[in-house]
Amino acid sequence: MESIITTENLTKIYRGSIKAVDSLTVQIRKGEVYGILGPNGAGKTTFIGMLTTRVTPTSGRATVAGLDILKESLKVRKRIGVVPQDLTTDEDLTGYENLKLVSRFYDITANEANRRIDQLLNMVQLQKHSHRRVKTYSGGMRKRLELIVGLVNDPEILFLDEPTLGLDVNTRMQMWEYIRDLRKRLDVTIILTSHYLEEIDALADRVSIMDNGKILVTDTPSNLKNSMKEDYITITFASPDDLKLGEKFFSNNEKRFSGINTLRVKVPNSDETMPDLINYFSSHSVKITRITIQKPTLDEVFLEYTGRSLRDEERGDARKSMFTIGRLRR
Amino acid sequence: MSGLIPLTSRELIRWYRNPVSLITGLIQPFFWIALFGSALGRFPTIFLQGAPNYITYIIGGVLSITSVFTAMFSGVNIIFDRRLGPLGRYLSSPIRRSSIVFSKIFSSTLRILVQVAILIFAAMILPNGLRFENGFSLFDSAVLITAVVLLALIFSSLFSIIAIRVTRMETIFGILNLVNLPLIFVSYAMFPPGIMAGWINSIAKYNPVSWSSEAIRTVIINGTLTGSQLANVGLWLLYLTILAASLIILTYVISERGIRD
Ligand SMILES: Nc1ncnc2c1ncn2[C@@H]1O[C@H](COP(=O)(O)OP(=O)(O)OP(=O)(O)O)[C@@H](O)[C@H]1O
Ligand SMILES: [Mg+2]
Repeated sequence: MESIITTENLTKIYRGSIKAVDSLTVQIRKGEVYGILGPNGAGKTTFIGMLTTRVTPTSGRATVAGLDILKESLKVRKRIGVVPQDLTTDEDLTGYENLKLVSRFYDITANEANRRIDQLLNMVQLQKHSHRRVKTYSGGMRKRLELIVGLVNDPEILFLDEPTLGLDVNTRMQMWEYIRDLRKRLDVTIILTSHYLEEIDALADRVSIMDNGKILVTDTPSNLKNSMKEDYITITFASPDDLKLGEKFFSNNEKRFSGINTLRVKVPNSDETMPDLINYFSSHSVKITRITIQKPTLDEVFLEYTGRSLRDEERGDARKSMFTIGRLRR
Repeated sequence: MSGLIPLTSRELIRWYRNPVSLITGLIQPFFWIALFGSALGRFPTIFLQGAPNYITYIIGGVLSITSVFTAMFSGVNIIFDRRLGPLGRYLSSPIRRSSIVFSKIFSSTLRILVQVAILIFAAMILPNGLRFENGFSLFDSAVLITAVVLLALIFSSLFSIIAIRVTRMETIFGILNLVNLPLIFVSYAMFPPGIMAGWINSIAKYNPVSWSSEAIRTVIINGTLTGSQLANVGLWLLYLTILAASLIILTYVISERGIRD
């Protein structure tokens, strides 16, 4: 597959010798949604900063759409769309004025710009509010506006840095819909960072797990999860006798926990176990009332590679979004 | 310089939306005119280089100081774009970095011209206020506008350069506070050279605020200039031009090399 972004040992060391991004060599394919999953401080924003020519690398090389990020930065910026982690719209202007301002940075005619702006406002349902000052927008409205500001130049490559940070669950799901929609309608490559497992899982074709400036593994979310080989099957039986019969099927399995009429087992691959299990239950007339299969999430994958759980990070999230808002209001 | 026109119009929209900032920028110079004008109303006119009253004498200084202050604050204005986010957007857009800075410099110059017009009008309607006893020609107004604009360019460039490199707000406001009093009082903006201590006088000569104040003062008091007055005014404007041009070039080079995010 054709690569649209390539990096070679891309490194950023900030003053105070923090290795924010540590010698990354990656290939991002044309047309994919490439996710970067990592906890706070992993280096996601710095990595995106270099690819979008905002941050100067300490060493290494990168090309975006075939253009060198250092030597051809102005050309790179023409071809990309960026939705940074922090809000960027001007609070004293209206939503429409913000979009119009940014459209004038590109070589688009006024007519074309207006047509696109209308379309984008419609897409995120902001047309009703487009002539209000951004100051009066809610957090979700602002994030939606930020998303479409990154799209006015009809970019080939779109960078989304934590596009749903601090949004409530409903608004977040809505943003996911917009992003999926984009993907379908426009032929755009999307680079998406997040520390929400579900977000990467729902949107990314491939994901890199990043920690301490390094990428630990890159693959499709389903390959990563399947590689964990730990599905849980939980069965509730009709009676203690049924439970005994059920336990017999798993007698070779060490990872087996029984409760009152329930059995929970860990198996390497539930897709292969289930047909045998169903056959066994019907041939031995085992009566069950409930069966649940739990596949691993990206959190198990994350835990495997970093020794830490991202769920713990998410708990700190409320504080982070407060900080973000604090930063905006200062 | 793509981006310069859209960004300048953004600055003007913001300005038009916040008329309060225009008014607050005028309160201080207005007080100077009114307060100094009446408190020092019986200032011995022999020190006033031929001005009929103190307001006529200081108006050149007040206009210069207004220009300096408005320019300094628009120069450092970039720190608010950095803090509130828009700078990040501009830095990842295909525009020249310098257009971000020059949009502030140009819009502040426009703003200063409006303030100057309002202040002149105010000084004229005050009792015992600004009087053009020897007339005020087109040439005189060109001198006035040139001096004010050059001074604005000097100080907005200078403070843009600081704001491009320094990201800490405290440091920038520290610098602003440190320089504003010396700029006013170690200059010929408010007081005639004749009543100044010798050492202040010798420093004040090199203060661009003095060059602008004296140039404006000369045309306001005299109307039609003698040969030597003309030579002086020409020299002051030349100094201002050289300084403004150098600082604009420096601002261009430094901003193109990168604006701290
Ligand atoms: N401008 C800067 N100066 C110094 N250090 C920085 C700067 N920006 C980031 N860092 C440091 O670099 C590291 C990576 O930061 P970065 O913002 O890239 O992480 P991130 O993965 O985006 O985190 P988050 O999820 O919190 O957004 C952190 O240790 C951070 O403190
Ligand atoms: Mg980040």
